[in-house]
Amino acid sequence: MKDIEQIVSRLSELGISVSTEDVEKRYRLLVDKFQVPPREAQRSVLNYFLKEKGVALPARKSEQVKINQIREPGRWVDLEAKVLSLFDSPSPAISQAGILGDETGNIRFVKWAKSEQPDLVEGRSYLLRNLVTDEFQGRFSVKINRSTEIAELDRDIESAVLPQSSADYKVVDISGPGQWINLRAKVVQLWEPSSDSIQQQGLLGDETGVVRFVKWAKSEQPDLVEGRSYLFRNLVTDEFQGRFSVKINRSTVIEETEEPIEVSLNRRISGAIVDIQKGSGLIKRCPTCKRPLSKGMCAEHGKVEGVYDLRVKAAIDDGLIVQDILINRERVEELIGLTMEQAKEMAMEALDHEVVLALIEEKLIGRYFEVTGPVRDRYLLVDSIKEMPFSDEDLSLLVSRAEGL
Amino acid sequence: MMYSREVARRVFLAELKRSDLSFREGDDSQYAPQYLLTPTGARCNRVFVVGTLIERDDIGEEVEYWRGRLADPTGSILIYAGQYQPEASRALAEIEIPSFVAVVGKPSVYETEDGRKITSIRAEAVQKVDLDTRNKWIIEAARRTLERLELMRSIDVPQSTDFRPGTIYHPEATTVEDCRKARGHYSTNISEYKQMVLTALSAIRKEQAIEESMPAEAHVMPEVHAETRTPGEVEMQDPPVRGKLPVDYEADSRAESLKPDAYTKPQPGRRRQTGSKRISSLVDLENDDIEEIDI
Repeated sequence: MKDIEQIVSRLSELGISVSTEDVEKRYRLLVDKFQVPPREAQRSVLNYFLKEKGVALPARKSEQVKINQIREPGRWVDLEAKVLSLFDSPSPAISQAGILGDETGNIRFVKWAKSEQPDLVEGRSYLLRNLVTDEFQGRFSVKINRSTEIAELDRDIESAVLPQSSADYKVVDISGPGQWINLRAKVVQLWEPSSDSIQQQGLLGDETGVVRFVKWAKSEQPDLVEGRSYLFRNLVTDEFQGRFSVKINRSTVIEETEEPIEVSLNRRISGAIVDIQKGSGLIKRCPTCKRPLSKGMCAEHGKVEGVYDLRVKAAIDDGLIVQDILINRERVEELIGLTMEQAKEMAMEALDHEVVLALIEEKLIGRYFEVTGPVRDRYLLVDSIKEMPFSDEDLSLLVSRAEGL
Repeated sequence: MMYSREVARRVFLAELKRSDLSFREGDDSQYAPQYLLTPTGARCNRVFVVGTLIERDDIGEEVEYWRGRLADPTGSILIYAGQYQPEASRALAEIEIPSFVAVVGKPSVYETEDGRKITSIRAEAVQKVDLDTRNKWIIEAARRTLERLELMRSIDVPQSTDFRPGTIYHPEATTVEDCRKARGHYSTNISEYKQMVLTALSAIRKEQAIEESMPAEAHVMPEVHAETRTPGEVEMQDPPVRGKLPVDYEADSRAESLKPDAYTKPQPGRRRQTGSKRISSLVDLENDDIEEIDI
C-alpha cells in the first residue's frame, strides 16, 4: 500500500529499519480502528517509530556542531563545512559521496538519491541543516536526507587538513579509498576529461607504479603539465571496481620538483611467498593455443600432445597486501637451479611430477623476495625476482623507532 | 565480486598466543571470514610466522594429527596439522628438531571445558627455512607491530575519527577502529609490547655478535629462545580433530574453494578507463601477445 511504503522508505532514509508489517499494523490501527485521516495517520506512524528508535525529529532538535563533536550515530546536526573532496558513488542509492571539513576535522558524507537534494560542489562551503549522523565500524559519517537544508556560504571555511597529516606514499602503497597521502610523481599522461566537472585527468607515476588521477574543476588548482614531476600533498585516494585513483582537491598542495623520477609501469613488491598455487611446477600446454592442459585435454582443442613448460603461480605477501604472481620458465629455472630438462628427468626418475613442485616449495615458501613486473588483471607477471637482502640499517632504524615509542 | 586472499599478518608469538578476541566480519553467515584481533590491533584471518620448531608429536588416534611447538624470541605457540592439511602435516612430521621453520596458517581459538581460551595455529604451509629468513621475519614483524603501536599511541589524542595521523604510520597495518577495539578488550599496555619488539630485535643482534666471535662451523644449531612454556601452564588440551571444529577461520578457505577460477581461459585484453582518448603504447599492455599467457 502506497502510504505504508512511503513511511517505510522515509524511515530507512533516516537510517531506521522497520518491517513493513509493523508499520502497516500501526497505520491500520489508526486508520481503521480510529478513523484517523490517512495523511494524519502517516505522520503519526512516522513520529511513532522515530521516537521508538530514539531519533529526534529535525524540527525539535538539530544542534549546530563542529565535526570533532560528532560522536554518536542517529543524531540530527547542523554543520558549517567545506567540501574537501568527492568520491565515485558506490551505489545507485547514493547520489553523491565525499568528505566535508571544518577547522576541527573532517568527516565522510553521503547524499541519498531519494533525498532529491542538489549536488554539492567541491571547494564550496555550506551550512547544512538537519543532517543525520551515522557510524560504521568506528567511522562516523553524515547523511544528507530529504529534510536536509543546504545553503551555500559566502565565506570560506578553513579546513583542518594540514599538510603534515597526510602520509608519504609510493604508488604501490595505495591500498584503499579515503586515504590522505603525499606523493612524489611524474605526470605520465594526460587524458581527455571524461566529464565537465573534471578539469584534468590522467596517469601519475613513480618508481613503484602508476595510478590514475583526477583534478576537479572546482579544486582551483594549477594545471599539470605532461612529463613534469611534482610533489603532491593531501591527495585523497579513491577506489572504483578494484582500481585505485587519487583526487586532487581543494586542500591539495602542488609543488613542481626538479628531482628526476623514473616511472615504472611495473609494480615492485617485497615480501614473503606464502602460497604456491595449483598449476605450478612442470605443466603441459596445448601446442596450438598454449593453454595449460587439464588431464591431457585443452579446453579449446580437446585431447592433444602437450608441450612441457615450467612455471609457478604464487602469492607474495608483506603483511599489508597480498599479490598473485606468475613466474615463467626462465625465472623458475634460476630459482630452483635446474633447467626444465633437468626437472623433467627428476620427475621421470621419481615417476612423479610432484617432486618438482616440492623443490619449488622448498625454495620459495616462507622466503623473502623482491618481485617486479607488470600487473595484468589479478597477476603480476614476474620480470625479476630476487632474494630480498637483510638490512642492518633497517634493524637499527627499527630499534630507534621502538625506543622512541 | 573479485576473489581476494586474506593477507597473512605478522605477529610475534607472545602477542599471538594471548590473543583471544575472535569474531566474524559482516553478517553471521558461515561463509563470512573469521578474524582474531590481537592486543596491538592486528586483524588476523591468516598469519605468517617464522621461528624455531622445538617439539612435535603425533597426537592423532586413527589418523595422523601432528602438533608442533614453535618458538620465537618472544614466546611460543602450538601448531597443528592433520589430514586436511596433508602437506603441512608431512612437513611437520619430517622436519628435524630443532629447525627454523616458516608457518603460514589460520589462528584458532579453542575454548576448553573450564572456559580457558587457547590460541594456536592451524597450519596451511610449513617449510624449513634458514637463519637469514628468520631474521628478515623478525624485522618485518617488528615493523608491522610498531606501525600498529604507533597508531594506537596516536589515538590517545582525541580527534575526529576521520583524521589520519601524520607520516608516522603506513597503510593499513591496522585501523583506528581495530585499535580502539583491541585496546578496549585487552587494555593494551603499549610499553609492554614495545618491550616485546625490542626483545625480538635484540635477538638478531645477539646472534650477529655471536657469529662474529665464533668460528664458522659452530653455527649449525639455531638458538632456542626465551620461554618455551608459560610458567604454570598445565597440561595442554588439544582441539579435537573430529567432531566439532574449534572456532576457527575455515570460512576464508571454504569461500576461496567455492569461487570459480576465472582464469582458465585467456581473457581478451581489457578496455582501459572510459572517457580517455589517448592511450599510447606506454600503457598499452594489451598489445602484448596475450596468447602466450595462460592466465
